[in-house]
Amino acid sequence: MFVQLKNVSFHYKNTKELTIQNFSLAIEKGEIVSILGKSGSGKSTILRLIAGLEIPFSGSIHINESIMADDKQFIQPEKRGVGMVFQDYALFPHMTVAENIKFGLKKMSRIQKKERLDEVLALVGLKEYVKRYPYELSGGQQQRVALARAIAPNPSVLLFDEPFSNLDAELQIKIRDELRTILKQTGITSIFVTHDKMDARALADRVVVMEEGTIFRVGEPAEVLNNEFTMSPVPV
Amino acid sequence: MKLFRLMKLKMNSWAILSFLITIIIMMPILFITFEFFTRSSENWEHINEYLLNSYLFNTLLILFFTGLLTVFIGVSMAWFISAYDFPLRGFFKWGLILPLAIPPYIGAYTYNGILNYTGVIQSILRNFYQIEVNQKYFNIMSIPGAIFIFSVFLFPYVYLITKNFLENQSASLVENARLLGSNSFEIFFRIVIPISRASIVAGVSLVILEVLNDYGVVKYFGIQTLSTAIFQTWFGMADLGSAIKLSGILMMIVVVILMAEKWLRGRKKYSYSNSKVRPLKPVKLTGYKAWAIFAYISAVFLLSFFIPFIQLVKWTFTTYKQVLSDEFIGLIWNSTFVAFTAAAVIVVIALIIANFSRLFEGRVTNLVSKIVVLGYSIPGAVIAIGVLTLFIALDRQLLIFYQLIGLTPSLVLSLSLSMLIFAFVIRFMAIGYNSIETGFDKIGTTFTEASRTLGMTVTQTFFKVDLKMIKGAVAGGFILVFIEILKELPLTLILQPFNFYTLATKAFQYAGDERIQEAASASILIILISGVSIYIFHKVLEKEPG
Ligand SMILES: Nc1ncnc2c1ncn2[C@@H]1O[C@H](COP(=O)(O)OP(=O)(O)OP(=O)(O)O)[C@@H](O)[C@H]1O
Ligand SMILES: [Mg+2]
Repeated sequence: MFVQLKNVSFHYKNTKELTIQNFSLAIEKGEIVSILGKSGSGKSTILRLIAGLEIPFSGSIHINESIMADDKQFIQPEKRGVGMVFQDYALFPHMTVAENIKFGLKKMSRIQKKERLDEVLALVGLKEYVKRYPYELSGGQQQRVALARAIAPNPSVLLFDEPFSNLDAELQIKIRDELRTILKQTGITSIFVTHDKMDARALADRVVVMEEGTIFRVGEPAEVLNNEFTMSPVPV
Repeated sequence: MKLFRLMKLKMNSWAILSFLITIIIMMPILFITFEFFTRSSENWEHINEYLLNSYLFNTLLILFFTGLLTVFIGVSMAWFISAYDFPLRGFFKWGLILPLAIPPYIGAYTYNGILNYTGVIQSILRNFYQIEVNQKYFNIMSIPGAIFIFSVFLFPYVYLITKNFLENQSASLVENARLLGSNSFEIFFRIVIPISRASIVAGVSLVILEVLNDYGVVKYFGIQTLSTAIFQTWFGMADLGSAIKLSGILMMIVVVILMAEKWLRGRKKYSYSNSKVRPLKPVKLTGYKAWAIFAYISAVFLLSFFIPFIQLVKWTFTTYKQVLSDEFIGLIWNSTFVAFTAAAVIVVIALIIANFSRLFEGRVTNLVSKIVVLGYSIPGAVIAIGVLTLFIALDRQLLIFYQLIGLTPSLVLSLSLSMLIFAFVIRFMAIGYNSIETGFDKIGTTFTEASRTLGMTVTQTFFKVDLKMIKGAVAGGFILVFIEILKELPLTLILQPFNFYTLATKAFQYAGDERIQEAASASILIILISGVSIYIFHKVLEKEPG
């Protein structure tokens, strides 16, 4: 198993009850998993735990056979090789597209950085925009820059937190299809959180439905998403 | 086990630095507290028996009436400006903040210069109308005079906070009352005052802290208060023990004030935090009502800004040739140097602690950020005595070391500028810290988190992302601190090294030597620079509409 969460529990500092309760999930290399669930069910929190932005209260997290977090150890986010695309993209406003994408390429020479930049720009189709600042881009373009930036350092796992929520419906469908192609092309293990069942169906190899901090259902998209009666409707 | 793990995770260099700084900042206050209970002093018996009561009485008298008057002026101004429309309202809305640019001690000697025998009023009466007035009625150098000075120059604190509250939060209540047919007086006393209680209390506590911090006004007017007594025991009698005791008493007043503030404010902060902010729409006034309000506000504006300002400008024109010398340039340089250094230190410390406390939230970090801003409520004289005690003790410890490196054994640290700068850092940390904290709040933590998932450590992220994104807040904080220090008087007076003067202390010295006109150039410079600070604070940092 490439990504493995075992009995992970977690609560935020200012809350008493557990936000995540005994959450266990195993993901294979190259798999695309989608997490669905109501608002407040803990989807974002799971991503934050995997990325190392929160410290689990108990349980363990492994990535590629190495311990990321358990009772004794905690690997800081910058050492995990986990990329993340944030809901509002979090592009650094004081950097150009090129600078944003090259930000995570630390141990490369200048020429290598340039090559990698061109590679990922080609992947997301944004070659002409390198010199622009984020505010000079449309929502869809920003989304693709965020993707390119997260992919550039070759993360072993890529996390998406509602990556399409700021896009209009048409763009959402277009980008979603592109995204699947890119992810399958690069073979990166990915987890993405969404409100939208259509997204999950189109993108995911497997779907996890969360409710109140635990897994409510797991399975193939067709199987999970067609059994309407077992699942409470997810508001868009 | 769990706790230990968490501790290890959080014990990075940010935490260590933050704790160290906090301890250093707390030292003088801890020192004063300790010495307050242990040190004896030969004069204390005497002071306690014969003088303390009158110091306390005068201090409290001035506090009480200044509080009352600033509430009266500040709240009425706030209500008129936010509820009514009348001639020049737009101008007064901002103009009524301007008195804050005139430090009360400058206001004090300016008013004395206007009113005394050689001043403009008496000269005109004498030369054109042959009237000799009774000096008694023209003497401002008294307790009522001090109350007048504090009230006209400090009421904007109450005005500002209350006005912001009324403009943004009171619309529905006030409009309902109007619809129900209440008249203006009823609305003011039955609605406006009760709902603005928290803002009024917040404003008036700022005023009171300023009055407790003051030394210039009371000293110039020859009034015996706790802060003048602290100066006297130290400079007049070299009696550090009594100065510490008096500082302790002054601190107790501050603590009582802060507790009273908390209690009076109640659980409400100054907003009802209604998510729908609907501004109160001013009612247009005509006829005598409009002109009555206009006359009242104009009178306050003239007294609190226009008249003293014009007088200072006039004096500057008559005396600048004598004053603008190398010495004056030297003063500007001194002021700039200490203000710049202290502001730079403050900004660096504020960045470290604010970043630490936002990234590692928790009870301990909360405490740290509360402690570093504590200095702002502590009167300058108290901080000065605390720092002085600390540095003298340090010098004693270092005496042997000085001998070893061949210096004449003496007080090295406590005669140096480092002591003054350290005291500034404690006193004005809050201003820099709040500005930087606001900057961090605005950018949130997502960018930091994004940077970390891209392989950057907390420290790398700080330099590459965080710092660049809060540049504006850092610059704003720096400028605000810089200007506060330029104006500062009591701390500087106690801690400035021998023969070292700043614009503020020199102006004060001139005024004390009956050379009020020569004080004008430095004063005008201070006022103009303070004006910039007020502008930055309200236009740039707060981004207030209108
Ligand atoms: N920083 C925080 N501090 C305290 N509680 C938090 C914090 N962030 C989230 N929570 C709480 O944790 C629970 C799970 O939040 P989470 O953000 O993981 O939900 P989500 O499934 O992503 O919801 P949404 O679909 O609205 O994004 C919620 O009840 C939320 O209120
Ligand atoms: Mg979420």
